[in-house]
Amino acid sequence: MSLHIQELHASLENGTEILKGVTLDIPAGEIHAIMGPNGSGKSTLSKVLAGHKGYIPTSGTITLDGQDISELSIDQRSRAGIFLAFQYPAEVPGVSNANFIRAALQSRLPKGQEIDAVAYYKNLYAKMDLLEMDRKFTSRAVNEGFSGGEKKRNEILQMIMLDPKYCILDETDSGLDIDALKIVAKGVNAMRSANRGMLLITHYQRLLDYIKPDHVHVMSDGRIVRSGGPELALELEEKGYDFLKEPALAS
Amino acid sequence: MYNDDTATALLEKETYDAINIDRSKGDFTFPERHKFDAGWGLSAHTVDYISDVKKDPDWVREFRHKALKIFESKPMPTNWATEDLNNIHFDKIRYYLSDGEKPKRSWDEVPEEILKTFERLGIPQQERAFLAGVEAQYDSEAAYSNMKEELSKQGVIFVTSAEGLKEHEEIFRPYFGKVIPTGDNKFSALNSAVFSGGSFIYIPKGVKLKQPLQAYFRINSESFGQFERTLIIADEGSEVMYMEGCTAPKFETATLHSAVVELVALKGARIQYITVQNWSSNVFNLVTKRGLAMENAEVRWIDCNIGSRLTMKYPGVVMKGEGARGEVISIALANTGQHQDTGAKMIHAADNTTSNVVSKSISVGQGRATYRGQVHIPKHLKGCKNNTECDALLINSNSRTDTYPAITVKGNRHATQHEASVSQVSEEMLFYMQQRGLDQGQAMSLAVNGFINDLVREFPMEYSVELKRLIDLEMEGSVG
Amino acid sequence: MTATLPAWFKARQQSALQRYETTTTPKRGDEQWRFSNFKQLDFANVSNKPAPEVDVAGLVSRSTGLETPVAKFVFLNDSPVFSESSLPTDVICLPLAEALASHSDLVAQHFMRQETRLGSAKYAALHEASLKNGLFVHIPDGMEIEGSIEVHHWLSGETTIFPHTLVVTGRNAKVRIIDCFRSVDETTPGLAIAFNDLCLGENSQLDYIAIQALNEVTRMIQINETSTDRDARAKGFILNTGASWARNESLSRLDGPGSRSDMLSVSIPAREQEYDQRTLQHHVSEGTYSDLLYKNTLYGHSRTIFSGLIFVGEKAHHTDAYQTCRNLLMTDDCEANSMPGLEINADQVKCSHGSTSSQISDEEIFYLCTRGIDPTRARQLIARGFSVEAVERLADEPTEKLVLKFIDEKFSAIGVSEG
Repeated sequence: MSLHIQELHASLENGTEILKGVTLDIPAGEIHAIMGPNGSGKSTLSKVLAGHKGYIPTSGTITLDGQDISELSIDQRSRAGIFLAFQYPAEVPGVSNANFIRAALQSRLPKGQEIDAVAYYKNLYAKMDLLEMDRKFTSRAVNEGFSGGEKKRNEILQMIMLDPKYCILDETDSGLDIDALKIVAKGVNAMRSANRGMLLITHYQRLLDYIKPDHVHVMSDGRIVRSGGPELALELEEKGYDFLKEPALAS
Repeated sequence: MYNDDTATALLEKETYDAINIDRSKGDFTFPERHKFDAGWGLSAHTVDYISDVKKDPDWVREFRHKALKIFESKPMPTNWATEDLNNIHFDKIRYYLSDGEKPKRSWDEVPEEILKTFERLGIPQQERAFLAGVEAQYDSEAAYSNMKEELSKQGVIFVTSAEGLKEHEEIFRPYFGKVIPTGDNKFSALNSAVFSGGSFIYIPKGVKLKQPLQAYFRINSESFGQFERTLIIADEGSEVMYMEGCTAPKFETATLHSAVVELVALKGARIQYITVQNWSSNVFNLVTKRGLAMENAEVRWIDCNIGSRLTMKYPGVVMKGEGARGEVISIALANTGQHQDTGAKMIHAADNTTSNVVSKSISVGQGRATYRGQVHIPKHLKGCKNNTECDALLINSNSRTDTYPAITVKGNRHATQHEASVSQVSEEMLFYMQQRGLDQGQAMSLAVNGFINDLVREFPMEYSVELKRLIDLEMEGSVG
Repeated sequence: MTATLPAWFKARQQSALQRYETTTTPKRGDEQWRFSNFKQLDFANVSNKPAPEVDVAGLVSRSTGLETPVAKFVFLNDSPVFSESSLPTDVICLPLAEALASHSDLVAQHFMRQETRLGSAKYAALHEASLKNGLFVHIPDGMEIEGSIEVHHWLSGETTIFPHTLVVTGRNAKVRIIDCFRSVDETTPGLAIAFNDLCLGENSQLDYIAIQALNEVTRMIQINETSTDRDARAKGFILNTGASWARNESLSRLDGPGSRSDMLSVSIPAREQEYDQRTLQHHVSEGTYSDLLYKNTLYGHSRTIFSGLIFVGEKAHHTDAYQTCRNLLMTDDCEANSMPGLEINADQVKCSHGSTSSQISDEEIFYLCTRGIDPTRARQLIARGFSVEAVERLADEPTEKLVLKFIDEKFSAIGVSEG
């Protein structure tokens, strides 16, 4: 059981290659972190995994628990168990958070089966309490007028509610103060499970103080250039990404 | 919006399904059984025929003939409006069809087929559930007209326009044709010549109706023109909410609906006029609606335009008394083959008058939505305010939208503000929603729903439910 | 015009005259003339008397503008009376009559190629049939002119002038042109029917500024037609302070993908002045951008009409188009009409328009008064600031200074009585 990425290449529509052969295995039960400087391809990797049309996979495979998901649409991948917490979540004006999450849950049920509204709200409120979110939040339009911290918390709430098999968190710590970061981390840690794999994409080591990864990878110029344990993140924090410039290491 | 052709086709199908409304509910007919038929085409003879059948008083007959001359002398307004108007063939329309029966006060007395029609449309059930009174018009005349007994005791009048002009001439006549003069436009003149049906309502001083009055307009016959005429007078300090619904089955040939609605809100009165139209896509719907608001009175038009081949409708408010308020809230949805040409007209004719226009349109497929607005603040007034917002949402790559407001402000003691925007459902928003598991169609529906949500709330609960069902955005029961 | 005119030009003038005669005069009910004052279109009373003697030397010395224009031309009733230039030799910058003789083919390629679509087709035909001269500017590929070409058009006597400005920029070229329209005296009624034709080549940049400060008994029709090739950037600015009536028709046709047009205007009518402005932002190609900002400050019994349309054609996907008209109403007798319009036929378009009419609030005046400024002066300061927002978009200090000089002259002419 794992989310497996093999020799993945992907380009923009104009032909510019962004991912230049990424291989990564995220087994259920493990948390992996990818770190790297801006422009290394980290965010692109998350979008390619989610099936964004702006990036064209040119070779390689993505398999989810053994199933090749390359041909699946964005929503099919979502329902198959991939969740992407966005760095910049889109606003959906006029659609309340409660209705949005409910619609997403409903899309996972067989046709004709309806969500039990009472149980749904009970569950939603419990998860909101965990993330210290105000009840008023349910009637606010998705991400509209949200602060950076509110948006990120909302992403985690949706993640908990949708109960995915594999979570990809793209720069979830960016724009958060330390208190908000702690709450977000609490939500993510609550999701740790032997049945779930997670991929944290981050520029800063700070997030990893609160969410302990099992493995850390360094990405640069569209490739994974180093892999190691949690200590690698500390090393990066200390030395910065400058070492990537040394040709010996990069090759 | 999508480069990938199959995705586009799929999306168009899905959004079509999502947004295409259930017009099948109204798409049925019964055989015509008309005792009176003015025949095809329009002439002085037609007008006399209608006057004879309706036993019009002389002043009404004269009014009609004068209007016919004005109608004939006025050109089609194609200098600013669509050329499609030239496809109305006035000689291929029937102007009056009725069975000669008076409107019934009880559904039991309504002829069976007509009763079945309104039952299928849910009218008697709605009446029992939440209405103060109902009038149901079938082709040219009302088949049913009734109101709760306690209201007549309070002096409320709710009858057809024919009853109004004969039985309540002293109240009816002074306002009739005064808010909208016959020559206001070609179609107000047409209506004035051949009008039949519609409501006359009078709310006495200080009476505040808690439940709405409703009219339902049903076209059953092919190549027919429906020309109802409504006049609502709210006396000082009174309040009324009036709702109208409209349907027609889909015929092979075009049908014409051309109503005139005049509202008079006297000092401190409040009239809300709510329309949910769901015409089939071969109806020309050319309607003139205007309200007069006296001192501290308020007229609100809440309008939802779905269906029809061409709708031209610009509800207006003439704010004639100090402190009067006018409002137009409008939702329009134009699908392929449809042109929703709607808007608002706000005439400030007294100090400290306030008007507000909020219009949202959605263009789907090759549909075209147009907003036309007029705001007029003449000089030597003070403290007038207008706010206009119009937002258009384009769903498909060949959808179309236009906005043509005209604002005239004289003098330095007023404030007007007009804002308009055009947008699409952004690709980022769709990606986000799809990443949560919604397919493209569901995501699009949800986005469209969100776009009009704040205006849908302006409709009374029962209508907003109906409206949502009509727009069918919450298809597949995905959102509660 | 002289016998040296090329045959094609004579033929164009003849057919234009026919077109003028067969085109109907604008009338009530024409959408492009909605709210217009049709009395102003009666030109029969422009007598076309021979112009009185003018002190040309004095006129040239009155023709002050920028401190150091890169070239300067002075026309009196369409005849060139002065020119000086420090332009590089590859640049063609000549009175139109000369250019017709020396660069006939180049002029033919660009001269009045667009259809006049904003209502004045008849007067464009009259202009074409009657024009005697003007300025032709051609900037070759890769030539960036720093500084501005300055043109002074003087109107003298009861007559009609037909000033014409044709500017063609080559690939990656850059230039700025300033046209300044004035009357020799303050009391003689004249008529000016001006046309400016701006043709921007690939990735070129052209700023065009028209300053209209004619006397207040003269009328003016000014037609602007701008077309932009790929990635070109046009900026147009119109200042109206003079004339009894001025009609401006500005059309930006964004032909090339990625091209941009900024359309700016400041108008300060007073007394009985009327300004009637019609604009079209026509997006033909993909990825084009237009931004319009018109600001009117109205005094006295003056009247303005703004009718603007953003038209996004079927192929102009990923277009951004903005349009803003703001009216500042200074008196109880002025009148502002706004008709901002949108017609959208393409996809992934960002468009908006806004129009406001308002007055200076008492709080603003109060604030300035507490700082020791008298109320009249305070009102003028605020009105000036209102105009400056559009002037600053010129983003060239000497040009901004020149425009502000005319604005300040107008404000001081309005003076205490109306301010």
